Amino acid sequence: MSDIGNIFVLVKQVPDQSAKAGINPDGTIDRSKAKRMINPFDRFALQAALETKKKYGGRITVISMGPPAAEEILLESLEHGVDQCKLLSDRRLAASDTLATSYAIWKTVEYLKPFDLIFCGLQTTDGDTAQVGPSLAERLDIPQVTYCEDFRIENKKVIARRVIEGGYQWVSSSLPCLITVANSYHHLEYKNIRGAKLVQELLRNKDKKDELIKTINLDQVNADPILCGLKGSPTIVAKTDKVAEIGGSCFLQQGESVDSMVQEVVSKTNILEFTR
Amino acid sequence: MNTNKAQEKQPMKEIITPSNKEVVVIAEQVNGEIQTVTVELLGAGRRLADKLGGKLSCFLIGSEFSNQPQELIARGADVVYVADNPALKDYRVLPYKKVIVDWINNFCPPPHIMLMGSTTTGRDLAPRIASYFQTGLTADCTELDIGPYEHTNKMDPDKIGLYPGCLYAIRPSFGESLKARILGPWKNPQMATARPGVMIPLDIDSSRKGEIINVPVNLTENELKVDILEIVREINETVKLADANVIVSGGFGLGNAEGFELMNELANCFEGSALGASRKVVDLGWISYQHQVGQTGKTVRPKIYIACGISGAIQHRVGMDKSSLIIAINKDPDAPIFKFAHHGIVGDVYHIVPEMIKQLKVHTKSTTNIKESSNTEKEYASV
Repeated sequence: MSDIGNIFVLVKQVPDQSAKAGINPDGTIDRSKAKRMINPFDRFALQAALETKKKYGGRITVISMGPPAAEEILLESLEHGVDQCKLLSDRRLAASDTLATSYAIWKTVEYLKPFDLIFCGLQTTDGDTAQVGPSLAERLDIPQVTYCEDFRIENKKVIARRVIEGGYQWVSSSLPCLITVANSYHHLEYKNIRGAKLVQELLRNKDKKDELIKTINLDQVNADPILCGLKGSPTIVAKTDKVAEIGGSCFLQQGESVDSMVQEVVSKTNILEFTR
Repeated sequence: MNTNKAQEKQPMKEIITPSNKEVVVIAEQVNGEIQTVTVELLGAGRRLADKLGGKLSCFLIGSEFSNQPQELIARGADVVYVADNPALKDYRVLPYKKVIVDWINNFCPPPHIMLMGSTTTGRDLAPRIASYFQTGLTADCTELDIGPYEHTNKMDPDKIGLYPGCLYAIRPSFGESLKARILGPWKNPQMATARPGVMIPLDIDSSRKGEIINVPVNLTENELKVDILEIVREINETVKLADANVIVSGGFGLGNAEGFELMNELANCFEGSALGASRKVVDLGWISYQHQVGQTGKTVRPKIYIACGISGAIQHRVGMDKSSLIIAINKDPDAPIFKFAHHGIVGDVYHIVPEMIKQLKVHTKSTTNIKESSNTEKEYASV
C-alpha cells in the first residue's frame, strides 16, 4: 500500500512576459494575443508532486482555474506524467481576486477530495501575491508549509524545509497539508516518453482527452456564484499609473579603453570611500 | 447648471465612515528582536493613523518580552497588545493566526486597517487571516495611503457608496510596468503586506507614551499540528543584503556560475559588502535564492550597487533602484539597466571587473594598510 493517496497540484496559465507577442507599447498586456505558459512557479509544484508519487505512491490530479485555453498547460502537465486534470472554467469567475479565487478552488477541492497533499507554486508571475495557497489552506482548515524547498514523508507526516529570512527551518506537519513550493526546489524534469505518447493520443481522441482533462463549472462543484468573480472579490483595482520612467541621466561610457573607462568610474564616484 | 439627474442621484449616495479608525501593525520578532520591517510598518502606519484620526496599535506575539513593547511605542505605536506564551516563542502560522483572530473577534467593530511585512512570515500568515475574516488583502505594497473612494459600478450594486477613509494599497503590477492602487473598503480590517526596505521608519523617541495591554492566549490541539524541528540562520548566506553598503550583483551576462567568483573578488574590495543576483541566475542554480534581488527576491538600497551582466528588467529594477549609486556593466548598450544606472560601462564583465579590482586595490593600498582578504564567501561575509 502506498503512503500517500491523492495529490493535488494547482497550476495556472499566465502570459509569457518575456515573449514580445501581446505586449503593448505602453507596457500593458493584451492577454488574447500574448503567448501563454504554465506559471513558472507552478513547475516546481509539479516536480514536487511527481517526486512524491515516485517515492511514496499516490495519484496526481492537476487542478486549474481559467479559460478553456488553459487546456494547453494541462496537456503539458500530462506530458510530464500527472494522472489527470480538472479545469474549473466559468465566465462567472472573471475578475476574481485572491479571496474569490481561493473560494472557487476550495469548492473544487471539496468536490474532488479526499487528498493527502496539495502542492502550489509559491506565487504566480501575473499576480505575485502568494495568497491563494494559504487562503485555500485556511478554508480547508488544514496546516500549510509555505516556501518549501525540500521535504520527505515519514510516519504519515511531512517533514519539510522552509525558507525563512536569513536561513531555513525544518518543520513537521500532519497530513493532509498544503505546501507552496519555493523556486529553490528542484527544476521540473523533462517530459517523459509515456506522457508525450499519451498526449499525442489525446489529441486524436477527443473522448479520452475529455476524460483526462475534465472541464467543470461552478454549478458542478456547488459554488455560490455570488462569492465568485467580481461580486465575490473584496478588493478592486481602482487605478493604475504608469511607473515613471527614470533615466536619461546615466553617464554611459563605450568604446574607450577598459582602464580609462574604469578610471572614470573610480574618479567620478564615491566608490573609494567604501573600499577596505 | 446642475441637472435634475444629478440631484436625483444625491440621496442615493451613502457615505460610509469608518467606525473604528484603529490601524494595527502585526509585529515580527526573531528571538525577541523586533525586525526592521516592523519598525518600517510603524512609520507607515503612523502616517495612516494620523490621516484617519485614529490610533496606531501594534500586536506583538512571542515569549518572554521585556522592553520590546516600549521599543514599539518609541517607534510610533499608541497601544501595544502583547500575546506572551512559551508556545508562541517562534513564529508558526496556526497558533499565531489563532491568537490574532481571537483578539480581533473581541474588537467590536474590527480595526480599520491591518498591516504586516511581506516577509516569509507575513506572506504565510496574512492570507490565512484575510481568508478567515473574508476580507481583502493586497500583497507586497510599495506605498500605502488613505483617501476617498466612490464606488459607482452598477454591475456590483451592493458595494455602491462613498467611502471617505479607504486604505490605498499601492503595488507595482509587474511585467506591465504599472502601479496599481488596490482598495477594499467594504470589509474591515482592510489588509496589506508591505515590502521590507521600502517604508520609512520614525526616529526613536523614548519620551513617547503608550499603553501596553496583555492579550489572553488560548491554544488548542488544532493549532499544534505543525512543529518546528530546527531553525538555521546562516549569517554567511543571508549575506546581510539589507545592511550592505556595497552590493555586487551578477546576472545572466556572467555566462556561468564561476562568474560569481569574480563577483566575490570585487565584493571583497569593499567593507560591508554583499553579493546579489538576478532571478534568472538563481533559477539556473548559479547562486542561492538568498542572494536574489528584485520582485521575488529582496529589496535593497545600498550606497553602491554594481550590476554586472544584468539587463535590468522591471522585476530586478524594483528591488534595487533606490540604491544611492548604481554602476552597471553590460555588453549590450541598449540594456534597460543603462536607463536608470548612474554610471554605465558598455563592455565585457570579464574585462571590466578585473580592471576595476586592480584599480580599487591600487587606491586602497596607497591610503590604508589592509590585511589580505580571503576570497571565500564564508569568510568575507562573516567580517
